[in-house]
Amino acid sequence: MSYQALGHGRLGSRPCLSQHIQRAPHLSAIEQLKRHNQLLCPALSWLMVQQPFSYPVALSRQSWRYICGGGAISPSAKGKSLRVASSAGSSVSSPGAPARLWDRVTTTLTAPSSPHFTACVSRDQATFRCWWSEGSFHNLSQPGALRVFYRYKKNSPWKECPEYIHSNKECFFDSNHTTIWTSCCVQLRSHDNVTYFNTEHCFSVENIVRPDPPVAVNWTLLGVSPYGLHYDVIVTWDPPASADVSMGWMSLAYEVQYRRWNSSEWTVVEVQGGTQQTLYGLNVEEEYEVHIRSRMKAFTKFGGYSDSIFIQLANYPGRESIFPVALVLGILAVVILLMLLLFSQQQRLILLLLPPVPTPKIKGIDSEMLKKGKFEELNFILSGGGMGSSCTPLFYQDEPLVDCIELDPLDPADAGDKGGQSSEAQRLIGGRQASGRPTVGGLSHTLSFCDEDDDSVVGDPPDQDALLALLTTPSPSPTSALLLPGQPELKQGFPGGRDPDPSLAHDGAPRPQAWLNTDFYAQVSDVMPSGGVVLSPGQQLRAQESTAAREGQKEKEEEEAKKKKLGAQIEGEGKDPVGDEEPEQQFQLVVMAADPVGDGYTTDAMNWQTGVVNGYHTLPAESAGDVIAPSVAVKSAEDYQPSYILPDASPPPARYLPPVSDYTIVQEVDYQHSLILNPPPPQAPAHQCLPQHPVKPLTPMPVGYITPDLLGSITP
Amino acid sequence: MADRRSQGTSVCLTVLSIMAACQAVPVSDLLDRASQRSDTLHSISTSLTHHMDSHLPSGGRLLMPRPNMCHTSSLQTPNDKEQTLSVSEAELMSLARSLLQAWVHPLLILSQESRSLPAAAQGLVSTRLLELLDHASSLQDGLDVLSSKMGPASQYLSYLPYHGGPNLGEDNPSKLVNFHFLLSCFRRDSHKIDSFLKVLRCRAAKSRPESC
Repeated sequence: MSYQALGHGRLGSRPCLSQHIQRAPHLSAIEQLKRHNQLLCPALSWLMVQQPFSYPVALSRQSWRYICGGGAISPSAKGKSLRVASSAGSSVSSPGAPARLWDRVTTTLTAPSSPHFTACVSRDQATFRCWWSEGSFHNLSQPGALRVFYRYKKNSPWKECPEYIHSNKECFFDSNHTTIWTSCCVQLRSHDNVTYFNTEHCFSVENIVRPDPPVAVNWTLLGVSPYGLHYDVIVTWDPPASADVSMGWMSLAYEVQYRRWNSSEWTVVEVQGGTQQTLYGLNVEEEYEVHIRSRMKAFTKFGGYSDSIFIQLANYPGRESIFPVALVLGILAVVILLMLLLFSQQQRLILLLLPPVPTPKIKGIDSEMLKKGKFEELNFILSGGGMGSSCTPLFYQDEPLVDCIELDPLDPADAGDKGGQSSEAQRLIGGRQASGRPTVGGLSHTLSFCDEDDDSVVGDPPDQDALLALLTTPSPSPTSALLLPGQPELKQGFPGGRDPDPSLAHDGAPRPQAWLNTDFYAQVSDVMPSGGVVLSPGQQLRAQESTAAREGQKEKEEEEAKKKKLGAQIEGEGKDPVGDEEPEQQFQLVVMAADPVGDGYTTDAMNWQTGVVNGYHTLPAESAGDVIAPSVAVKSAEDYQPSYILPDASPPPARYLPPVSDYTIVQEVDYQHSLILNPPPPQAPAHQCLPQHPVKPLTPMPVGYITPDLLGSITP
Repeated sequence: MADRRSQGTSVCLTVLSIMAACQAVPVSDLLDRASQRSDTLHSISTSLTHHMDSHLPSGGRLLMPRPNMCHTSSLQTPNDKEQTLSVSEAELMSLARSLLQAWVHPLLILSQESRSLPAAAQGLVSTRLLELLDHASSLQDGLDVLSSKMGPASQYLSYLPYHGGPNLGEDNPSKLVNFHFLLSCFRRDSHKIDSFLKVLRCRAAKSRPESC
């Protein structure tokens, strides 16, 4: 069943109601409510169907509206929310409205309202207008049925509206009737002096000012982004004509709103002062709508919106595409990376692209020397004069360092007579066989590194090897010459100790000559059908060079001695056993350090020559007697560490060897990788003098070449 | 306040002496600065009023005295645009200065009483009141300087005493109501001062309408 709420009243605060109800506790609840409703809704007529009811509805924090009404409420309607139709025509739901006696009931209530003012607005702070409405009192809708009265001060009389606009239900107050900074109250009166007055209808004119919207809104392009995707505009406008800004009467603030054409959300920009605003970041090819409204500074009421303007930027002609720029940048980055990679890996790349071509190089040989064409020196070096240090170590890899190498034949000699020195001398002679130099052939060129007091003599194998090498090559002649089978005999001669030195000397003298005749390089004159090679050594050239070199050796010895590095002890070593005695030694020991540098080899070669010359010089001089006073050719004995060890010419001159034929059979390979040519057979057993590493007897080769496996077998 | 006045006075004296020695700051510039200051004053008072509105108990507005009960309402000021535009500059300046002078004491009372407000309302009230005091005093000093340039008529000050006493009310609701009432009065008067100064500024800057 339906009913109506017939009206609404308004109370300032809720406590009044509760006070009111409590005042009549003796009444029943319904009675109380009746009285309450009557008090609340005095001007309303009631339709009391069954029971009156009132629903306090909170519409705002400061005012409570009570919907007064009556009627029966069907039980089925309980629990539903109450919908109230307010005087303005909109429905307000009030689910939280407490019902006094009933639960919430859904019903549509139309609330009748009294005549009231809908709005009072001033545009220019000099005049204002008020609009009224008769509410639900339709009998007052005729023009003139309601009249507007106003007053400014409390005690002044009410004045009627100076200007009516009945068509609009508007009352216009012109500047003569407008007083600002003063509270103005307006009221409506009907003909029968029923006054509809509300305290809310008092105001100050400056507080109701809503300025007109700005005029002449326009925009100009400020700039476009580099890629032509966004642009900025400046929006300009003029203040409304009604607002007297030029006189300073009103100062306006504005609000610019803009949105994309298809968007529903406005972007708001507040403008405090000035009549322009920049909008940033608008998208190209999108349309924007802009409108502006204004208000008084420090006030909150805005005027209406201006007419919208539409901003759109067509395709910007100077727009650049991102793509080419990105491409260029990418290529540039790649190029830079490649260059960095190149420079960082320069060495490796060069190695990769231009692998080093192995050039023929022999250790100890200076390419300069080759260019200069010093053939004899080259031959000397190649024969192992300076190469001993580099070649020999290969033979010593597996063998332990042995300090002492004792020759068996030497032992009985050592036991007695000469004493330690002779033994030392013999050891000097016997030398370093143990270190693995069988090919040395027991030549006395091996130094005795076994001296107890001299540990440093032991030195490094390379040094020793160098010494050995030096000893074994008393002349620039190839080592191979030394390895001829005649050598063991030489050696034997030594242990014997008192071999005819002059003979040796004599032998030594021509020997180097003979040896000089053979060199490392041999010219191949013919190739045998069996595979042999016919050699024709070129000896003349070297013979001349060697003689020439003998001259100026002495002075060179001095300076070269400085370069050599060997223990002074060695020379001292060499000195002691050599110095005082034994004519057997016959050789001037000059310790010469091994110089791995090619230059050193060169100088060594020189030294060798000089040393040899020395030896040769002295030897004949000393060979006056049996005993050749060994002259210590230790030039730099105490000062310089290195000095020369000139192996006596004795070992090589020991035997006169038959001249080398044009071709010989290679029997074995020297420790210096020289080829040992075919020794004469009878000397074969003499090899036993070599204490520990006897030369392996070789089977004569039918052919003049050697295969690698055989090479390995003949390797000492 | 007193030392601020003395500071302000010393500042003014310094400024005056400098102005005497050098080229004086043009009046339009001074007016520009003064109107900016009054604009700030009015803005702060508006925000303070709105803040108090939200904390006012319901029905409090009904109990509020009417605006013509402000202690400055006895001052005869132009009430509409025509009157305002027709008043002389010196008189406008005098009115502005009188109004400003009348609010020095009440603002102090308000500032003191703001500490005893209920916590919900106190919020930023104290801060704003101190700002108000600061701006008011500096504006006062500036207007004193200006009036010295504008003739003797602008030097006249009307005496508008505040009769309220140090207490705004006995109980909290009445205190709150009186507080709100005083603030609304001050807001109205600050708007008056601002309007007068803006009219003066625009009159002095006839050659530069953009400054209006």
